[in-house]
Amino acid sequence: MTEVKATFYRRMKDLPSTHLLGTGTPMCSGCGGLEALHQVYDVIGEKSVFVNAAGCMTLLSVYPFTPFRGSWLYTAMASAPAGAQGVRDALDILLEKKRIPPEENMEVVVLTGDGSAYGMGLSATSGAMERNLDFLYICYDNEGYGNTGQQYSGATPHAAKTATSKGPLGFPGFKKDLFSIWAAHKPAYVATVIGTEPVDLARKIEKARSLKGPRMIIALAPCPPGWDFDPKESVEIGKLAVKSGVWPLKEYIDGKVTHTKIPRQRIPVEDYLKHQGRFAHLFEPQCNDALINEIQKKVDDYWDEVQKTTSLDKE
Amino acid sequence: MYRIRFHGRGGQGMKTASRILGTAFFLQGYEVQDAPRYGAERRGAPIFAYVRADETPINERGIITQADLVIVADDSLVPVPGAGVLAGVDKHTVILINSDESPEVWKQRLNISGKVFTLPVETEDRAELRFIGATCTGAAAKLLGVITRESLSQAIEEELGDLGHAVVEKNLHKALTAFDLMKKHAGCVSTMEKTSAANYTRPAWVELPFEDARISAPSIHAAANSVQVKTGLWRTQRPVIDYEHCSGCWWVCSTFCPDGAINVTEQGLPDIDYDHCKGCMVCVAQCPPHAIHAIAEEVAQAEEAKGGQA
Ligand SMILES: Cc1ncc(C[n+]2csc(CCOP(=O)(O)OP(=O)(O)O)c2C)c(N)n1
Ligand code: SF4
Repeated sequence: MTEVKATFYRRMKDLPSTHLLGTGTPMCSGCGGLEALHQVYDVIGEKSVFVNAAGCMTLLSVYPFTPFRGSWLYTAMASAPAGAQGVRDALDILLEKKRIPPEENMEVVVLTGDGSAYGMGLSATSGAMERNLDFLYICYDNEGYGNTGQQYSGATPHAAKTATSKGPLGFPGFKKDLFSIWAAHKPAYVATVIGTEPVDLARKIEKARSLKGPRMIIALAPCPPGWDFDPKESVEIGKLAVKSGVWPLKEYIDGKVTHTKIPRQRIPVEDYLKHQGRFAHLFEPQCNDALINEIQKKVDDYWDEVQKTTSLDKE
Repeated sequence: MYRIRFHGRGGQGMKTASRILGTAFFLQGYEVQDAPRYGAERRGAPIFAYVRADETPINERGIITQADLVIVADDSLVPVPGAGVLAGVDKHTVILINSDESPEVWKQRLNISGKVFTLPVETEDRAELRFIGATCTGAAAKLLGVITRESLSQAIEEELGDLGHAVVEKNLHKALTAFDLMKKHAGCVSTMEKTSAANYTRPAWVELPFEDARISAPSIHAAANSVQVKTGLWRTQRPVIDYEHCSGCWWVCSTFCPDGAINVTEQGLPDIDYDHCKGCMVCVAQCPPHAIHAIAEEVAQAEEAKGGQA
């Protein structure tokens, strides 16, 4: 059984009140991914190397500026985990040869969008987990290829309109269950987070930091231009994703999945969908009840299943 | 050849505006190029789009450094160096600015002798902002003088048809109103003289010597130096904390601010870093006691200029 220390983050007051990640980045106003990243960075700290696959966040470090206090490396979309392997190996060699003291060791962090994580980079990630690479993976999931104008990705939810799924029914496919795909590799840790649940997020990053091996995080990232909503709604939409049960907050450790926040009274998915332009065609010109019900049913089925397994656990 | 440059912020529809204008030219029988500049196409960041139109095939490529018509959808971009609104502007260049200030004010402020037209900003409502592109395109079409009302309408229908009837109607209304508004100035945009090889003087090149990789390779050795980039210039609205109502809560605004631009002071009160706040207004929406409110950036700046507290 993995030893995990009691958390430092018990309530909002325990969260840092000043922030480590530099301001002045070119992320969009209201970016839910940046919101999650700055919270993550407060916990990880400056002794880190970020290995960043092409996507919105590669624009964080545009020469000669960087918001990071540690290092940053840019890789192609499919290969951030391979880049992380190289950096980890180099650090290990330096440590072993005593060319750097142990206190100068760094956490190797892969940072990619969902286009990379759910698609192009999945094979490299699988390989890294297979080799039990000691690294942290942060995927900010804006449910599409944000940087290039929100084309659909393996993370795009059913019925969402994207630049490449413009028809009256939106995206015909379904969001991949990356959490389960990752967990099936039995890495040290897998968790879903969201910037609008900062205490849950901080605890999970803290827990991941205390472990060794592949530690995998997916952060749902409300994206004003990609999802088509006013930037000020960013946090509200994240909260609705959790309250409606669309974005379950959970973690995998030691072969077991635990839900860290079970919405007591789930609100209808409609309340989440209707705030976003990418789902506007479900409500205008007429309400597409069939499609909304289909989305609702998927969410209900998910939570019914959770209920069954958690009640089994209690027995 | 007509060379037209659009300046706006991500989310204001400059790319679409350039496409509509390009299509309208095409419908008039012109050869056309229209393209946005690919880069940081994020909401709020400066965006560029270009249109070239000519009666003969166009061999020129790339960004437009010298434009006949410069369209500025957001007047707060004018002082932003990275936006390059004034790049290559000379006395023949016509400038169209979406602004409440008069053309005279802009001419004086920018010390330019060419023609300046303004389109009064109609609304503070951000939902309306997405129609700025249509308004600008409509006015531009009239200033160019070679695009008919019919071609403009057809271009809008072609480019926006996918978005449904209501959107098309709204854009048509905005564009045609602006088109008619510029009636008196129809055809005031002139094209530049052709550069001929005979009297071409080459620009003053700056010679950059080849440098050792350790000097020229892009490594950044400073921590968090992104703070030197003042993203506060993106803002069109400013969040202002009313400390009398701020409950010094559990730091909701500081944690939720995507940019980390709100830090909590030693007194336990949040402090907004206006050099970097992009004006997303998440804090305004989330503050539990509603102690943060939004004011128009212009108004806040005018107050500051008067020496008052915003
Ligand atoms: C192999 C490859 N194909 C395409 C691109 C172009 N490209 C750059 S960023 C990007 C989108 C990446 O999407 P995602 O990983 O979801 O990150 P986001 O942009 O949403 O942050 C694409 C397609 C690339 N860099 N490499
Ligand atoms: S496109 Fe979306 S994810 Fe990318 S920077 Fe903008 S808000 Fe963030």
